Amino acid sequence: MDVNRMLCTAMACLLLMASGCGGGGSSSSPPPPPPPPPPPVVITTPEAFVFLNQATFGATLANAQRLIDLGYEGWVDEQLAQPASLKLPHLQSLPVPTQPQTLQTDRVDIWFRNVINGDDQLRQRVAFALSEIMVVSQLGALNRSPYALADYYDVLVRGAFGNYRDLLEEVTLHPAMGVYLSMLGNRKPDTANNIRPDENYAREVMQLFSIGLVQLNSDGSDQLDDGGLPIPTYDQATIEGFAHVFTGWHWADAPNGFLSARPSLENQIKPMQLYPDFHDDGVKLLLNGEMIAANQGGVADLDQALDNLFNHPNVAPFISYRLIQRLVSSNPSAAYIGRMSSVFNDNGQGERGDLGALVKAILLDPEARALTRTDTGGKLKEPLLRLTQLYRAYDAQSQSGRYPLVFAYVALGQGVLQSPSVFNFFSPFYAPPGEIQDQGLVAPELQIATEYQNTFLTNTLFDQTFVNQSENLANLGEDDVYLDIAAEVAIADDIDGLVALVADKLMAGEISPTLDAQVKQMLGRTQPTDTALRAAETIYLIASSPEYALQR
Amino acid sequence: MTTRRRLLTGTATLAGVSMVAPLMLSPVNAHATFGDYKALVCVFLFGGNDGWNMLVPRSEAEHTVYANSRQNMAIDRDDLIPITPNTTDGSEYGLHPSLIGIQGLFDAGAAAFTANVGPLIEPTTLEQYQNKSVQRPPQLFSHNDQQSQWHTLKGAAPSATGWAGRLADLLAAQTTTQMIPSTSSLFGSTTFLVGASTQPYVMGPGGPLAFSGFADTGIGLEQRLAFERIVAARQANIYGRGYAAIQQRALDNADLINTTLANAPVLSTTFANDVLSQQLQTVARLIAVRDDLQMERQVFFVALGGFDTHDDQVMLQPGLLANIDAAMTSFYDATVELNVADRVTTFTQSDFGRTLTSNGDGTDHAWGSVALTVGGGVAGRDIYGAYPLLDIGGNYDVGGGRLIPTTSADQYAATLAQWMDPTLADLETVAPNIGNFAQQNLGFMI
Repeated sequence: MDVNRMLCTAMACLLLMASGCGGGGSSSSPPPPPPPPPPPVVITTPEAFVFLNQATFGATLANAQRLIDLGYEGWVDEQLAQPASLKLPHLQSLPVPTQPQTLQTDRVDIWFRNVINGDDQLRQRVAFALSEIMVVSQLGALNRSPYALADYYDVLVRGAFGNYRDLLEEVTLHPAMGVYLSMLGNRKPDTANNIRPDENYAREVMQLFSIGLVQLNSDGSDQLDDGGLPIPTYDQATIEGFAHVFTGWHWADAPNGFLSARPSLENQIKPMQLYPDFHDDGVKLLLNGEMIAANQGGVADLDQALDNLFNHPNVAPFISYRLIQRLVSSNPSAAYIGRMSSVFNDNGQGERGDLGALVKAILLDPEARALTRTDTGGKLKEPLLRLTQLYRAYDAQSQSGRYPLVFAYVALGQGVLQSPSVFNFFSPFYAPPGEIQDQGLVAPELQIATEYQNTFLTNTLFDQTFVNQSENLANLGEDDVYLDIAAEVAIADDIDGLVALVADKLMAGEISPTLDAQVKQMLGRTQPTDTALRAAETIYLIASSPEYALQR
Repeated sequence: MTTRRRLLTGTATLAGVSMVAPLMLSPVNAHATFGDYKALVCVFLFGGNDGWNMLVPRSEAEHTVYANSRQNMAIDRDDLIPITPNTTDGSEYGLHPSLIGIQGLFDAGAAAFTANVGPLIEPTTLEQYQNKSVQRPPQLFSHNDQQSQWHTLKGAAPSATGWAGRLADLLAAQTTTQMIPSTSSLFGSTTFLVGASTQPYVMGPGGPLAFSGFADTGIGLEQRLAFERIVAARQANIYGRGYAAIQQRALDNADLINTTLANAPVLSTTFANDVLSQQLQTVARLIAVRDDLQMERQVFFVALGGFDTHDDQVMLQPGLLANIDAAMTSFYDATVELNVADRVTTFTQSDFGRTLTSNGDGTDHAWGSVALTVGGGVAGRDIYGAYPLLDIGGNYDVGGGRLIPTTSADQYAATLAQWMDPTLADLETVAPNIGNFAQQNLGFMI
C-alpha cells in the first residue's frame, strides 16, 4: 500500500467525520448499551451448500461439515489465511516445449487441479471472478505466451485478498495485459506522421476494470443529469490523457532499448519496463479535471494516474457490484451494494480497496445469507462452475492425474482466461428478453446460455456421466477426467436411495418433488441390474436440470 | 409437425414466434402471406472494421490526402484494385487488395458500398457536434455501446430490441406459416434479432446441435421424455425459468431443423474452413430448405471477430478482409446455385470505423465507416452515401481522424427493411430516427 493512498483514505475519513456521516466521532450523548450477543448460528447442510456454492468451486458434503464446524466467519477467516495455489511454478517445472502454445493445456490442467482439489477455495473463486473483470485471453496473440498467462492468473490469485490499487498496478504493468490491450510498445506521439498514443488500454481500464462509463452512486445506481440521463465518467480527452500516460512501456530487459524489445521466457513473467525516451512527458488530463504536470517521468505519471483512477468514487460500487454478481446474485439490492461500497472505501482500519475485507463482507452480508428464497434471488451458475461443482462432488480425476481440458471452453462457452474479448463471456448488464427484462433485472450468465451452448453443455454432462465415469474406466484414456460413481452403483437397485444419494451430494437433498419424481419414473423403466446405467442416468438428469443450473 | 413426443409431454409448441403471431393478427390479413421468399444476412464484423482501408480513394489527389492522413496505415495506390462505379462523384476508388471476389461481384452489379455510414440520431455537422446542439448516440467510440447502436438504433433510449427483431415483429402477421423463428443467430445471442414478440433461435456455426442420448425408441426415448418433462416443469426461480425456456426452444427446434437439413440438397459451391465461411455455408443450407420449413421472411446473424486492430493492423487486416471476401463470395455463389441470389441480401455492420491517424502500428476507435452489401437484389456496382475527403482536421473530423457519419445506420437499415417488405408502412418501428433524415431509402436495393 502506498503512502498516497493512506493519506487519501485518512483524508476521506476526516471529511466523513466532519460531515457527521462517520461512525467513529465523539458524541455528547451517552453511548448506547452494547447489543446482546447473537445466538450461536447453527448452519444446516442446505445452508452450507448455498454458501459454499458462492465461495468455492462446488459444495461437497465434507466441506459443508467443515463450514458447519467453523461457522461462516470462522470458515472465511481460515480461507483468508490459506496459502495460494499457483500456476506458474507448475509450468516452469515442465520441459520448455518447441511449440510454446502446447503449454496452454498445462495451464488449464493446473487450474483444474487447483480449483478441484486445492484448499484455497475462496481465493481461487475470487481470482476467477477477477479474471472475468480484468480480462485477458488465450484466444489471440497470447496463445503463444502460456507463461505470461499463468503468471497473470497468479497475480490475481495472490492479489485476491490484497489491495485493489496494488492489483490495478500489477495488472496494468503485466506483459499479458500489455499484449492483450496493446499498451506494450505504446509510444509517445509522432505528430509529423500523424501517430498518437494507442488508446486501447486507456479506454478499457476505465470502462471495464475500474469505474465504468457513467457516474455511480455508492449504491450502484446511475447518477442522472437534469434531463434524466446518465452522466459520463470521462470523455475522449480523458482517454487521450491516459493514453499518453501509458506510453514508453515494453518487454523488460531489452538489450538495445525500446525498439529492440522482444518477448523471452524471462521477461514474459516480469512487469513491463519503462523506456523513458518513448514516454510522453507532456501535461496530461486525468479524471475529474486532475492534471499530470510535465516532465514527471513515466513511473510517477503512472502512479498518479492509477491513484486518480483508484480514488474515483465509482470504483467501490463498480467492483462491489461485479464481485457480488460473480459470487452471490445477479441482482443485488442497492442497499447491499451500498454496504459493500462502504467496506471498499474503508475496511474499518482506514484502508481503501481491501479486497479481502470486501469478499468477506459480500459473503457474510445478510442478503447473501438470507434464509428466505425469493423468486429473483441468486443467479444462474456459470457453465464452468457447473462442471467444477460436479467434479468436486464426484471426486473427478484422471488416471494420469491431469485435467487437460484446454478445449472444454468450446463446449461450455467458458474457460479460464479464454474469453472471446475483453468484454468477458457475458455482460454484467445482460437482460434476456422475457420476464427478466420485463422486471428490469439482469442475468449475465444467460447471455451465453443459448440454445446451442446449453445443448453443448448438456451433452458434455451426458458424456461425463455416461462415458467418463468409474464404471467405464477400462475404456478410458489415461487423460480422461472421470467421475467416481461407485457409491451410486453400489445402491442402484434401490431407486429411492439412489436418487437421495445423488440429491444429497449435488443439492444437499433439496431436490424439487417434480424432479425427484421424474428421475424415479425414468429409473423405473430400467432394470435393477442396470446399475451403472441407473447411476449415470440419475446424475445426468439432476446435473442437467434447470434447478441444478441455478445457484441459490 | 406436432410429433408424438410433443403430445406426450404436453408441450405442443412450435417456434415461439409462430405461436405468438396469430394472436396479433387483424382479421383482414389473417391468412395473407408473402407468397415468396426473402432473407437478410447480417455479417457483423466485431471490433470495428477499418472501412477506410476497404474502399479507398484512388484518384491521385484524394489518395494523396488519404496517404498523408494514414501514413503507415495507408494502402499504396498501386496495390488497390480499381473499380468503376456506375455513378461518379468525380473521384476514383479502389478496393483493398484482399477483396478480389468482392471486386468481381461489384463489377457484376451484385455488390455495393455505403460510404461514411454510422449511428446518428439526426444529421450532424462538425459545428453541431462541437457545440452539442444535436443529439448524438451515447458513448461514442465504445465497443459494446456502438455495437448496441448498430443493433438497436435506439440512441439513448432503452435498447431491449434490435432492428431486425422489430422488422420481424412487423412481418409476423404475414409469416404465420413459418415453422421456426424468423430470426436466427449462428454467433451467440444478440439483441439485433430480438423483437417485442420475436424471440430469436441460436444455433451453432454448423447448425443446431442435437441432444445426446435421445432416441425414438427404448431407453433413449424414455430419457428424452424424462428430460422434456423436467424442462417443462415450472421452476421456482426466475433464472431457472429463463434457463428452462432456452432448453425448451432447443428441444422445439433442433430436431426439426436437423431432420429437415438432412434432406437438403448437397451444395456444389465450396466454402473455406474458417468460422465465417462455416456459418454462411450453414445459412445457405437453411435457405435451401426454406420451403420445407415454410419460411418466407428470415433474418440471419453471422459474425467474425478480430477487427479491433489497435496492434499490427498492416499485418492483420489483409487476412481479415480476405476472410470476408472468400466467405461472402462463396455465399453469393451458393445463392446463385440455389436460384435465390435476388432473394438473399448479405450486408455488413461493425462497431465503428477507425481513426485515420495511426497509433504506431494500428488504429483506434472512431465512428463513420464503409459498409458492404451483396446480393442479386442489390443495385450494385455503385457507392451510396457521400465518400468524404479523408483529411485530418477536415469537415467531419471530431479529432484524430474520427469522422462524423454522413449517412445514418437508420437509413441503411430502413433501406434493407423496405426491400424485405416494399409495403412496409411503419419504418420508424424499425429505424426510430429515420424521420430525422430526408432520404428514407438510400436506393442500394432494387
